Amino acid sequence: MNSMLRQVYVNKTVLEAAKERISYIFDEFENIVVSISGGKDSTVLAHLALTEAHKRNRKIGIFFLDEEVVYESTIKQIEYIMNLYPENTIPLWLQVEFKLTNATSLIEGQLICWEAGKSKIWMRPKSPLSIKHKPWDITKETIRDKNKGFGFYDALENFQNSRRDTAFLIGLRATESPNRWRAVSKNPGYKNVYWCTKMKNGNVSFYPLYDWNFHDVWKYIYDNKLRYSKIYDYMWKKGMGLQEIRVSSLIHEKSFKALVELPEFEPKTYDKLLKRIKGISVGNLYGKDRAMLRVQKLPKNYKNWREYRDFLLATYPDPEKKEIFVKRFAKHLDNDYVARQQCRQLVLNDYENNLPVDNKPDPREALIQKWRELL
Amino acid sequence: MKTIKTKKGEIALPCLEVQIVPIDKVQANNYNPNMVSSQNMKLLEESIVSNGFCFAVVTIWDPDLEKYVIIDGFHRYLIFRDYLQAKELPIIVLEHDITKRMEATVQFNRARGVHQVELMGDLVKALVEQGVSDDEIAVKLGMEIEEVFRLKQITGIAELFKNQIYSKSWVIQEVDEVG
Repeated sequence: MNSMLRQVYVNKTVLEAAKERISYIFDEFENIVVSISGGKDSTVLAHLALTEAHKRNRKIGIFFLDEEVVYESTIKQIEYIMNLYPENTIPLWLQVEFKLTNATSLIEGQLICWEAGKSKIWMRPKSPLSIKHKPWDITKETIRDKNKGFGFYDALENFQNSRRDTAFLIGLRATESPNRWRAVSKNPGYKNVYWCTKMKNGNVSFYPLYDWNFHDVWKYIYDNKLRYSKIYDYMWKKGMGLQEIRVSSLIHEKSFKALVELPEFEPKTYDKLLKRIKGISVGNLYGKDRAMLRVQKLPKNYKNWREYRDFLLATYPDPEKKEIFVKRFAKHLDNDYVARQQCRQLVLNDYENNLPVDNKPDPREALIQKWRELL
Repeated sequence: MKTIKTKKGEIALPCLEVQIVPIDKVQANNYNPNMVSSQNMKLLEESIVSNGFCFAVVTIWDPDLEKYVIIDGFHRYLIFRDYLQAKELPIIVLEHDITKRMEATVQFNRARGVHQVELMGDLVKALVEQGVSDDEIAVKLGMEIEEVFRLKQITGIAELFKNQIYSKSWVIQEVDEVG
Protein backbone atom coordinates (compact mmCIF):
# COMPACT_ATOMS: atom_id res chain seq x y z
CA MET A 1 0.00 0.00 0.00
CA ASN A 2 1.29 3.44 -0.97
CA SER A 3 0.35 6.60 0.74
CA MET A 4 -0.54 9.69 -1.25
CA LEU A 5 -1.70 13.26 -0.71
CA ARG A 6 -5.35 14.13 -1.10
CA GLN A 7 -7.51 17.18 -0.74
CA VAL A 8 -10.09 16.41 1.98
CA TYR A 9 -13.01 18.69 2.88
CA VAL A 10 -13.57 19.43 6.56
CA ASN A 11 -16.62 20.70 8.36
CA LYS A 12 -15.56 24.33 8.70
CA THR A 13 -15.79 27.44 6.61
CA VAL A 14 -12.60 28.83 5.10
CA LEU A 15 -12.93 31.81 7.44
CA GLU A 16 -13.04 29.66 10.60
CA ALA A 17 -10.12 27.63 9.32
CA ALA A 18 -8.03 30.71 8.44
CA LYS A 19 -8.57 32.18 11.91
CA GLU A 20 -7.42 28.91 13.48
CA ARG A 21 -4.36 28.80 11.25
CA ILE A 22 -3.40 32.35 12.13
CA SER A 23 -3.94 31.66 15.83
CA TYR A 24 -1.66 28.62 15.49
CA ILE A 25 1.09 30.75 13.91
CA PHE A 26 0.80 33.27 16.76
CA ASP A 27 1.18 30.41 19.25
CA GLU A 28 4.26 29.03 17.50
CA PHE A 29 6.14 32.16 16.40
CA GLU A 30 7.20 35.28 18.19
CA ASN A 31 8.12 37.10 14.98
CA ILE A 32 5.40 37.43 12.37
CA VAL A 33 5.54 39.39 9.11
CA VAL A 34 2.63 39.72 6.64
CA SER A 35 3.60 40.41 3.02
CA ILE A 36 1.20 42.78 1.28
CA SER A 37 0.88 43.89 -2.34
CA GLY A 38 -2.09 46.24 -2.10
CA GLY A 39 -4.24 43.55 -3.71
CA LYS A 40 -7.42 42.06 -2.29
CA ASP A 41 -5.96 38.77 -0.99
CA SER A 42 -3.17 40.32 1.03
CA THR A 43 -5.59 42.98 2.34
CA VAL A 44 -7.76 40.22 3.81
CA LEU A 45 -4.76 38.36 5.18
CA ALA A 46 -3.32 41.48 6.83
CA HIS A 47 -6.69 42.30 8.37
CA LEU A 48 -7.06 38.79 9.83
CA ALA A 49 -3.52 38.81 11.23
CA LEU A 50 -3.77 42.34 12.65
CA THR A 51 -7.08 41.50 14.31
CA GLU A 52 -5.38 38.56 16.03
CA ALA A 53 -2.38 40.73 16.99
CA HIS A 54 -4.75 43.29 18.44
CA LYS A 55 -6.56 40.62 20.45
CA ARG A 56 -3.27 39.33 21.85
CA ASN A 57 -1.77 42.79 22.29
CA ARG A 58 1.18 41.90 20.07
CA LYS A 59 3.06 43.58 17.22
CA ILE A 60 3.53 42.16 13.77
CA GLY A 61 5.48 43.37 10.73
CA ILE A 62 3.59 44.51 7.64
CA PHE A 63 5.96 44.12 4.69
CA PHE A 64 5.58 45.92 1.37
CA LEU A 65 8.35 45.87 -1.23
CA ASP A 66 7.62 49.09 -3.13
CA GLU A 67 8.31 48.96 -6.90
CA GLU A 68 7.70 52.71 -7.27
CA VAL A 69 5.93 52.37 -10.68
CA VAL A 70 2.57 51.21 -9.32
CA TYR A 71 -0.97 52.59 -9.24
CA GLU A 72 -1.59 55.45 -6.84
CA SER A 73 -4.53 53.36 -5.61
CA THR A 74 -2.09 50.64 -4.56
CA ILE A 75 -0.16 53.11 -2.41
CA LYS A 76 -3.36 54.41 -0.83
CA GLN A 77 -4.22 50.81 0.02
CA ILE A 78 -0.80 50.23 1.60
CA GLU A 79 -1.21 53.34 3.74
CA TYR A 80 -4.65 52.13 4.77
CA ILE A 81 -3.36 48.75 5.89
CA MET A 82 -0.37 50.26 7.70
CA ASN A 83 -2.83 52.41 9.68
CA LEU A 84 -5.48 49.77 10.52
CA TYR A 85 -3.98 48.97 13.93
CA PRO A 86 -0.92 51.24 14.26
CA GLU A 87 -0.25 50.10 17.83
CA ASN A 88 0.06 46.50 16.61
CA THR A 89 1.97 47.27 13.40
CA ILE A 90 5.67 47.40 12.66
CA PRO A 91 5.74 49.05 9.22
CA LEU A 92 8.22 47.30 6.94
CA TRP A 93 7.63 49.39 3.84
CA LEU A 94 10.80 49.03 1.77
CA GLN A 95 11.66 51.86 -0.62
CA VAL A 96 15.14 50.88 -1.76
CA GLU A 97 16.90 50.65 -5.12
CA PHE A 98 16.43 47.56 -7.26
CA LYS A 99 16.01 46.84 -10.95
CA LEU A 100 12.74 46.32 -12.79
CA THR A 101 12.28 45.16 -16.37
CA ASN A 102 10.63 47.75 -18.58
CA ALA A 103 8.87 45.64 -21.19
CA THR A 104 7.73 48.66 -23.18
CA SER A 105 11.06 50.17 -24.16
CA LEU A 106 14.09 48.81 -25.97
CA ILE A 107 16.15 51.90 -25.20
CA GLU A 108 15.45 51.98 -21.49
CA GLY A 109 15.01 48.26 -20.82
CA GLN A 110 15.47 48.52 -17.09
CA LEU A 111 14.23 50.88 -14.51
CA ILE A 112 16.02 51.30 -11.21
CA CYS A 113 13.21 52.12 -8.85
CA TRP A 114 13.98 54.78 -6.22
CA GLU A 115 17.25 55.47 -8.03
CA ALA A 116 19.46 57.85 -6.06
CA GLY A 117 19.84 61.28 -7.66
CA LYS A 118 16.54 60.96 -9.54
CA SER A 119 14.20 61.90 -6.72
CA LYS A 120 12.82 64.72 -8.87
CA ILE A 121 11.26 62.26 -11.31
CA TRP A 122 10.27 59.54 -8.85
CA MET A 123 6.59 58.69 -9.18
CA ARG A 124 6.06 60.11 -5.69
CA PRO A 125 8.17 61.11 -2.69
CA LYS A 126 9.16 58.36 -0.29
CA SER A 127 6.73 57.70 2.55
CA PRO A 128 7.55 58.99 6.05
CA LEU A 129 6.75 55.45 7.23
CA SER A 130 9.20 53.68 4.95
CA ILE A 131 12.61 52.07 5.32
CA LYS A 132 14.82 54.01 2.91
CA HIS A 133 18.07 52.05 3.03
CA LYS A 134 18.62 48.34 2.56
CA PRO A 135 18.11 46.85 6.02
CA TRP A 136 20.65 44.08 5.44
CA ASP A 137 24.43 43.77 5.36
CA ILE A 138 25.38 45.05 1.87
CA THR A 139 28.70 43.17 1.89
CA LYS A 140 26.80 39.89 2.19
CA GLU A 141 24.08 40.79 -0.28
CA THR A 142 23.19 37.94 -2.66
CA ILE A 143 22.22 38.23 -6.33
CA ARG A 144 20.67 35.36 -8.26
CA ASP A 145 21.98 36.41 -11.64
CA LYS A 146 24.79 38.94 -12.01
CA ASN A 147 23.87 39.66 -15.67
CA LYS A 148 20.43 40.86 -14.72
CA GLY A 149 21.52 42.72 -11.63
CA PHE A 150 19.81 43.16 -8.30
CA GLY A 151 16.08 42.70 -8.89
CA PHE A 152 12.75 42.33 -7.12
CA TYR A 153 13.30 38.74 -5.99
CA ASP A 154 16.81 39.56 -4.78
CA ALA A 155 15.41 42.36 -2.61
CA LEU A 156 12.77 39.95 -1.30
CA GLU A 157 15.28 37.20 -0.55
CA ASN A 158 17.81 39.45 1.15
CA PHE A 159 15.08 40.94 3.28
CA GLN A 160 13.81 37.51 4.33
CA ASN A 161 17.32 36.22 5.00
CA SER A 162 18.06 39.21 7.20
CA ARG A 163 15.52 37.80 9.67
CA ARG A 164 15.47 34.62 11.69
CA ASP A 165 12.76 32.40 13.22
CA THR A 166 10.13 34.48 11.51
CA ALA A 167 6.76 33.42 10.12
CA PHE A 168 6.08 35.15 6.80
CA LEU A 169 2.38 35.22 5.96
CA ILE A 170 1.52 35.28 2.25
CA GLY A 171 -1.90 35.56 0.58
CA LEU A 172 -1.35 32.69 -1.88
CA ARG A 173 -4.55 30.86 -2.88
CA ALA A 174 -4.62 27.42 -4.51
CA THR A 175 -7.41 28.29 -6.96
CA GLU A 176 -5.57 31.40 -8.14
CA SER A 177 -2.10 29.86 -8.58
CA PRO A 178 -2.58 26.08 -8.82
CA ASN A 179 0.98 25.44 -10.01
CA ARG A 180 2.64 27.39 -7.25
CA TRP A 181 0.31 25.81 -4.71
CA ARG A 182 1.15 22.30 -5.91
CA ALA A 183 4.84 23.09 -5.62
CA VAL A 184 4.64 24.41 -2.06
CA SER A 185 2.20 21.86 -0.63
CA LYS A 186 4.11 18.69 -1.52
CA ASN A 187 5.80 18.42 1.86
CA PRO A 188 5.18 19.81 5.31
CA GLY A 189 7.34 22.95 5.66
CA TYR A 190 6.98 23.24 9.41
CA LYS A 191 6.13 20.39 11.83
CA ASN A 192 3.18 18.60 10.18
CA VAL A 193 1.85 21.68 8.40
CA TYR A 194 1.45 21.39 4.61
CA TRP A 195 0.34 24.96 3.89
CA CYS A 196 3.80 26.46 4.24
CA THR A 197 7.38 26.40 2.91
CA LYS A 198 10.58 26.12 4.89
CA MET A 199 13.21 28.82 4.28
CA LYS A 200 16.65 29.78 5.60
CA ASN A 201 17.43 30.80 9.22
CA GLY A 202 14.40 29.03 10.69
CA ASN A 203 12.06 31.24 8.66
CA VAL A 204 8.83 29.75 7.28
CA SER A 205 6.36 31.10 4.68
CA PHE A 206 2.74 30.34 5.59
CA TYR A 207 -0.32 30.50 3.32
CA PRO A 208 -3.36 30.74 5.66
CA LEU A 209 -5.78 31.59 2.83
CA TYR A 210 -4.79 28.66 0.59
CA ASP A 211 -8.31 27.18 0.39
CA TRP A 212 -10.14 30.50 -0.13
CA ASN A 213 -12.04 31.13 -3.32
CA PHE A 214 -12.40 34.41 -5.14
CA HIS A 215 -15.86 35.12 -3.67
CA ASP A 216 -14.70 34.36 -0.11
CA VAL A 217 -12.16 37.15 -0.35
CA TRP A 218 -14.74 39.66 -1.58
CA LYS A 219 -17.31 38.56 0.97
CA TYR A 220 -14.80 39.11 3.76
CA ILE A 221 -14.03 42.58 2.39
CA TYR A 222 -17.74 43.38 2.22
CA ASP A 223 -18.61 41.96 5.66
CA ASN A 224 -15.79 43.82 7.39
CA LYS A 225 -16.26 46.99 5.32
CA LEU A 226 -12.60 46.95 4.35
CA ARG A 227 -11.22 49.43 1.88
CA TYR A 228 -9.85 47.91 -1.32
CA SER A 229 -7.90 49.25 -4.28
CA LYS A 230 -10.05 51.36 -6.59
CA ILE A 231 -8.47 49.61 -9.55
CA TYR A 232 -10.84 46.68 -8.98
CA ASP A 233 -13.88 48.95 -9.35
CA TYR A 234 -12.42 50.67 -12.43
CA MET A 235 -11.73 47.37 -14.11
CA TRP A 236 -15.14 46.05 -13.25
CA LYS A 237 -16.79 49.15 -14.64
CA LYS A 238 -14.82 48.69 -17.83
CA GLY A 239 -16.14 45.13 -18.06
CA MET A 240 -12.76 43.49 -17.59
CA GLY A 241 -12.05 40.14 -16.00
CA LEU A 242 -11.42 40.61 -12.31
CA GLN A 243 -9.14 37.62 -12.21
CA GLU A 244 -6.46 39.21 -14.40
CA ILE A 245 -5.87 42.28 -12.29
CA ARG A 246 -2.34 42.81 -11.00
CA VAL A 247 -1.82 45.72 -8.65
CA SER A 248 1.99 45.72 -8.77
CA SER A 249 4.56 47.10 -11.27
CA LEU A 250 2.97 48.70 -14.31
CA ILE A 251 5.85 48.04 -16.70
CA HIS A 252 6.44 44.34 -16.17
CA GLU A 253 6.26 42.01 -19.19
CA LYS A 254 3.15 40.42 -17.71
CA SER A 255 1.34 43.62 -16.78
CA PHE A 256 2.10 46.23 -19.46
CA LYS A 257 -1.41 45.71 -20.85
CA ALA A 258 -2.54 47.78 -17.86
CA LEU A 259 -1.03 50.80 -19.61
CA VAL A 260 -3.85 50.77 -22.17
CA GLU A 261 -6.39 51.71 -19.51
CA LEU A 262 -4.14 53.68 -17.19
CA PRO A 263 -5.05 57.15 -18.59
CA GLU A 264 -8.72 56.38 -17.95
CA PHE A 265 -8.10 55.07 -14.42
CA GLU A 266 -5.35 57.28 -13.06
CA PRO A 267 -4.45 60.09 -15.47
CA LYS A 268 -1.94 61.59 -13.04
CA THR A 269 -0.11 58.30 -12.55
CA TYR A 270 0.06 57.93 -16.33
CA ASP A 271 1.47 61.44 -16.76
CA LYS A 272 4.15 60.83 -14.13
CA LEU A 273 5.03 57.52 -15.70
CA LEU A 274 5.52 59.20 -19.09
CA LYS A 275 8.13 61.45 -17.53
CA ARG A 276 9.70 58.69 -15.49
CA ILE A 277 10.61 56.21 -18.21
CA LYS A 278 10.64 55.72 -21.97
CA GLY A 279 8.25 53.46 -23.86
CA ILE A 280 5.15 54.17 -21.81
CA SER A 281 3.16 55.61 -24.70
CA VAL A 282 4.09 52.55 -26.80
CA GLY A 283 2.57 50.36 -24.10
CA ASN A 284 -0.49 52.58 -23.96
CA LEU A 285 -1.13 52.64 -27.71
CA TYR A 286 -0.20 49.09 -28.63
CA GLY A 287 -0.51 47.10 -25.38
CA LYS A 288 -3.39 45.12 -26.83
CA ASP A 289 -2.37 45.17 -30.49
CA ARG A 290 -1.86 41.65 -31.75
CA ALA A 291 1.12 42.44 -33.93
CA MET A 292 3.07 44.97 -31.90
CA LEU A 293 3.63 43.93 -28.29
CA ARG A 294 1.66 40.72 -27.97
CA VAL A 295 3.44 39.21 -30.95
CA GLN A 296 0.55 37.01 -32.05
CA LYS A 297 0.30 38.24 -35.62
CA LEU A 298 3.27 38.39 -37.95
CA PRO A 299 3.82 41.95 -39.22
CA LYS A 300 2.91 41.97 -42.89
CA ASN A 301 6.35 42.86 -44.22
CA TYR A 302 7.90 39.57 -43.13
CA LYS A 303 7.62 36.15 -44.77
CA ASN A 304 7.86 34.20 -41.54
CA TRP A 305 8.72 34.50 -37.86
CA ARG A 306 12.35 33.53 -38.44
CA GLU A 307 12.82 36.48 -40.77
CA TYR A 308 11.16 38.83 -38.26
CA ARG A 309 13.35 37.47 -35.47
CA ASP A 310 16.54 38.01 -37.48
CA PHE A 311 15.45 41.57 -38.17
CA LEU A 312 14.67 42.27 -34.51
CA LEU A 313 17.96 40.78 -33.40
CA ALA A 314 19.97 42.68 -36.02
CA THR A 315 18.44 45.99 -34.96
CA TYR A 316 18.43 45.39 -31.19
CA PRO A 317 19.78 48.61 -29.69
CA ASP A 318 21.63 47.34 -26.61
CA PRO A 319 24.76 45.30 -27.55
CA GLU A 320 25.17 43.65 -24.11
CA LYS A 321 21.58 42.48 -23.96
CA LYS A 322 21.77 41.43 -27.60
CA GLU A 323 24.61 39.07 -26.69
CA ILE A 324 22.35 37.42 -24.07
CA PHE A 325 19.71 36.78 -26.74
CA VAL A 326 22.23 35.52 -29.32
CA LYS A 327 23.67 33.01 -26.84
CA ARG A 328 20.24 31.88 -25.67
CA PHE A 329 18.80 31.47 -29.18
CA ALA A 330 21.86 29.49 -30.31
CA LYS A 331 20.63 26.66 -28.07
CA HIS A 332 17.15 26.70 -29.65
CA LEU A 333 15.70 24.86 -32.62
CA ASP A 334 15.34 26.98 -35.75
CA ASN A 335 11.66 26.79 -36.65
CA ASP A 336 8.74 29.22 -36.84
CA TYR A 337 7.09 27.99 -33.63
CA VAL A 338 10.23 28.74 -31.64
CA ALA A 339 10.99 31.91 -33.62
CA ARG A 340 7.64 33.50 -32.73
CA GLN A 341 8.44 33.08 -29.05
CA GLN A 342 11.92 34.48 -29.60
CA CYS A 343 10.31 37.50 -31.27
CA ARG A 344 8.16 37.99 -28.20
CA GLN A 345 11.23 37.96 -25.96
CA LEU A 346 12.92 40.52 -28.19
CA VAL A 347 9.92 42.79 -28.49
CA LEU A 348 9.26 42.72 -24.75
CA ASN A 349 12.89 43.08 -23.90
CA ASP A 350 12.84 39.85 -21.95
CA TYR A 351 16.58 39.32 -21.51
CA GLU A 352 15.74 37.91 -18.08
CA ASN A 353 13.95 34.96 -19.70
CA ASN A 354 10.76 35.41 -17.70
CA LEU A 355 8.72 34.23 -20.68
CA PRO A 356 10.73 31.11 -21.49
CA VAL A 357 10.75 29.69 -25.01
CA ASP A 358 9.05 26.33 -25.47
CA ASN A 359 11.82 24.80 -27.54
CA LYS A 360 10.26 22.04 -29.62
CA PRO A 361 9.65 21.10 -33.24
CA ASP A 362 6.96 23.16 -34.92
CA PRO A 363 3.65 21.31 -34.35
CA ARG A 364 2.37 22.70 -37.63
CA GLU A 365 5.24 21.13 -39.55
CA ALA A 366 4.43 17.74 -38.07
CA LEU A 367 0.84 18.16 -39.20
CA ILE A 368 1.87 19.17 -42.70
CA GLN A 369 4.23 16.19 -42.85
CA LYS A 370 1.41 13.88 -41.83
CA TRP A 371 -0.84 15.19 -44.57
CA ARG A 372 1.96 14.88 -47.12
CA GLU A 373 2.27 11.24 -46.23
CA LEU A 374 -1.48 10.69 -46.50
CA LEU A 375 -1.89 12.47 -49.84
CA MET B 1 -7.59 84.60 -43.57
CA LYS B 2 -8.56 85.83 -40.10
CA THR B 3 -6.17 85.10 -37.24
CA ILE B 4 -5.99 85.27 -33.46
CA LYS B 5 -2.87 86.47 -31.63
CA THR B 6 -1.20 83.98 -29.28
CA LYS B 7 2.18 83.68 -27.57
CA LYS B 8 3.28 81.51 -30.50
CA GLY B 9 2.27 84.14 -33.03
CA GLU B 10 -0.81 84.59 -35.18
CA ILE B 11 -2.87 81.40 -35.40
CA ALA B 12 -4.81 80.97 -38.63
CA LEU B 13 -8.56 80.29 -38.38
CA PRO B 14 -9.56 78.05 -41.27
CA CYS B 15 -12.64 77.11 -39.22
CA LEU B 16 -14.16 80.40 -40.36
CA GLU B 17 -13.74 79.56 -44.04
CA VAL B 18 -16.19 76.74 -44.42
CA GLN B 19 -17.67 76.05 -47.84
CA ILE B 20 -20.42 73.71 -48.89
CA VAL B 21 -19.56 71.47 -51.83
CA PRO B 22 -21.27 68.56 -53.60
CA ILE B 23 -20.46 65.44 -51.60
CA ASP B 24 -19.31 63.55 -54.70
CA LYS B 25 -16.48 66.07 -55.10
CA VAL B 26 -15.00 64.74 -51.81
CA GLN B 27 -13.03 61.52 -51.36
CA ALA B 28 -11.07 59.60 -48.73
CA ASN B 29 -7.30 59.55 -48.49
CA ASN B 30 -5.50 56.24 -48.81
CA TYR B 31 -3.42 56.32 -45.67
CA ASN B 32 -5.72 57.01 -42.71
CA PRO B 33 -5.06 54.40 -39.98
CA ASN B 34 -8.06 55.48 -37.89
CA MET B 35 -10.79 52.90 -37.32
CA VAL B 36 -14.19 53.62 -35.79
CA SER B 37 -16.26 50.72 -34.45
CA SER B 38 -19.80 50.26 -35.77
CA GLN B 39 -21.09 51.13 -32.30
CA ASN B 40 -19.27 54.45 -32.39
CA MET B 41 -20.48 55.11 -35.96
CA LYS B 42 -24.03 54.93 -34.62
CA LEU B 43 -23.02 57.30 -31.84
CA LEU B 44 -21.56 59.69 -34.39
CA GLU B 45 -24.78 59.58 -36.41
CA GLU B 46 -26.75 60.26 -33.23
CA SER B 47 -24.47 63.18 -32.47
CA ILE B 48 -24.82 64.72 -35.94
CA VAL B 49 -28.59 64.31 -35.92
CA SER B 50 -29.05 65.84 -32.47
CA ASN B 51 -26.25 68.45 -32.42
CA GLY B 52 -26.01 69.28 -36.11
CA PHE B 53 -22.82 69.07 -38.22
CA CYS B 54 -20.54 71.11 -35.96
CA PHE B 55 -17.10 70.39 -37.41
CA ALA B 56 -16.43 70.82 -41.09
CA VAL B 57 -14.48 68.06 -42.83
CA VAL B 58 -10.85 69.09 -43.35
CA THR B 59 -9.53 68.54 -46.91
CA ILE B 60 -6.98 69.56 -49.52
CA TRP B 61 -7.74 70.17 -53.18
CA ASP B 62 -6.11 67.58 -55.44
CA PRO B 63 -5.82 69.14 -58.93
CA ASP B 64 -5.03 65.77 -60.63
CA LEU B 65 -8.08 64.00 -59.20
CA GLU B 66 -10.13 67.17 -59.32
CA LYS B 67 -11.44 66.25 -55.90
CA TYR B 68 -11.21 67.36 -52.29
CA VAL B 69 -9.20 64.71 -50.41
CA ILE B 70 -9.99 64.29 -46.72
CA ILE B 71 -7.38 65.00 -44.05
CA ASP B 72 -9.73 64.75 -41.10
CA GLY B 73 -13.40 63.85 -40.78
CA PHE B 74 -13.64 60.72 -42.91
CA HIS B 75 -16.20 59.15 -40.59
CA ARG B 76 -18.34 62.30 -40.42
CA TYR B 77 -18.28 62.29 -44.21
CA LEU B 78 -19.34 58.61 -44.29
CA ILE B 79 -22.27 59.31 -41.97
CA PHE B 80 -23.43 62.14 -44.20
CA ARG B 81 -22.90 60.24 -47.45
CA ASP B 82 -24.11 56.72 -46.55
CA TYR B 83 -26.18 56.88 -43.37
CA LEU B 84 -27.96 60.19 -44.01
CA GLN B 85 -27.58 60.26 -47.81
CA ALA B 86 -26.78 63.96 -48.00
CA LYS B 87 -25.86 65.49 -51.35
CA GLU B 88 -23.61 68.22 -49.93
CA LEU B 89 -20.91 68.51 -47.28
CA PRO B 90 -19.36 71.43 -45.35
CA ILE B 91 -15.59 71.44 -45.80
CA ILE B 92 -12.46 73.45 -45.07
CA VAL B 93 -9.65 73.42 -47.65
CA LEU B 94 -6.04 73.54 -46.43
CA GLU B 95 -2.94 73.90 -48.61
CA HIS B 96 -0.79 71.05 -47.28
CA ASP B 97 1.73 68.94 -49.20
CA ILE B 98 1.53 65.16 -48.78
CA THR B 99 3.89 65.00 -45.76
CA LYS B 100 2.08 67.70 -43.86
CA ARG B 101 -1.23 66.10 -44.80
CA MET B 102 -0.27 62.75 -43.31
CA GLU B 103 1.04 64.42 -40.18
CA ALA B 104 -2.15 66.44 -39.83
CA THR B 105 -4.32 63.33 -40.13
CA VAL B 106 -2.52 61.65 -37.24
CA GLN B 107 -2.50 64.85 -35.17
CA PHE B 108 -6.26 65.18 -35.56
CA ASN B 109 -6.83 61.51 -34.72
CA ARG B 110 -4.55 61.18 -31.74
CA ALA B 111 -4.65 64.52 -29.98
CA ARG B 112 -7.80 63.58 -28.13
CA GLY B 113 -8.64 62.82 -24.54
CA VAL B 114 -10.03 59.73 -22.90
CA HIS B 115 -12.84 59.57 -20.39
CA GLN B 116 -11.80 58.92 -16.82
CA VAL B 117 -13.79 55.93 -15.68
CA GLU B 118 -14.66 57.42 -12.32
CA LEU B 119 -15.96 60.70 -13.74
CA MET B 120 -17.80 58.88 -16.53
CA GLY B 121 -19.57 56.95 -13.74
CA ASP B 122 -20.50 60.22 -12.04
CA LEU B 123 -21.84 61.58 -15.33
CA VAL B 124 -24.03 58.53 -15.91
CA LYS B 125 -25.28 58.74 -12.34
CA ALA B 126 -26.20 62.40 -12.86
CA LEU B 127 -28.15 61.52 -16.01
CA VAL B 128 -30.02 58.81 -14.13
CA GLU B 129 -30.90 61.36 -11.45
CA GLN B 130 -32.21 63.69 -14.15
CA GLY B 131 -34.67 60.96 -15.03
CA VAL B 132 -33.00 59.60 -18.19
CA SER B 133 -33.67 55.88 -18.65
CA ASP B 134 -30.90 53.29 -18.99
CA ASP B 135 -31.95 52.52 -22.56
CA GLU B 136 -31.85 56.16 -23.51
CA ILE B 137 -28.42 56.59 -21.93
CA ALA B 138 -27.20 53.58 -23.86
CA VAL B 139 -28.35 55.07 -27.20
CA LYS B 140 -27.29 58.64 -26.53
CA LEU B 141 -23.84 57.81 -25.17
CA GLY B 142 -23.19 54.88 -27.50
CA MET B 143 -22.92 52.26 -24.78
CA GLU B 144 -24.15 48.76 -24.34
CA ILE B 145 -26.77 48.40 -21.60
CA GLU B 146 -24.20 46.33 -19.68
CA GLU B 147 -21.80 49.29 -19.61
CA VAL B 148 -24.54 51.62 -18.35
CA PHE B 149 -25.35 49.17 -15.58
CA ARG B 150 -21.73 48.86 -14.52
CA LEU B 151 -21.07 52.59 -14.61
CA LYS B 152 -24.10 53.53 -12.58
CA GLN B 153 -23.33 50.86 -10.01
CA ILE B 154 -21.57 53.11 -7.53
CA THR B 155 -21.26 50.86 -4.54
CA GLY B 156 -18.25 49.00 -5.89
CA ILE B 157 -17.69 45.33 -6.53
CA ALA B 158 -17.51 44.15 -2.91
CA GLU B 159 -21.27 44.80 -2.74
CA LEU B 160 -21.85 42.10 -5.36
CA PHE B 161 -20.61 39.42 -2.97
CA LYS B 162 -22.60 40.30 0.13
CA ASN B 163 -25.05 37.43 -0.17
CA GLN B 164 -22.41 34.79 -0.78
CA ILE B 165 -21.59 32.19 1.84
CA TYR B 166 -18.06 31.13 2.76
CA SER B 167 -16.72 28.02 1.03
CA LYS B 168 -16.00 24.82 2.87
CA SER B 169 -12.46 24.45 4.10
CA TRP B 170 -10.16 21.60 3.00
CA VAL B 171 -6.83 20.16 4.06
CA ILE B 172 -4.06 18.18 2.43
CA GLN B 173 -4.03 14.75 4.02
CA GLU B 174 -1.89 11.71 3.61
CA VAL B 175 -4.20 8.84 2.76
CA ASP B 176 -3.48 5.20 2.02
CA GLU B 177 -3.98 4.25 -1.55
CA VAL B 178 -6.00 1.11 -1.90
CA GLY B 179 -4.79 -1.37 -4.45
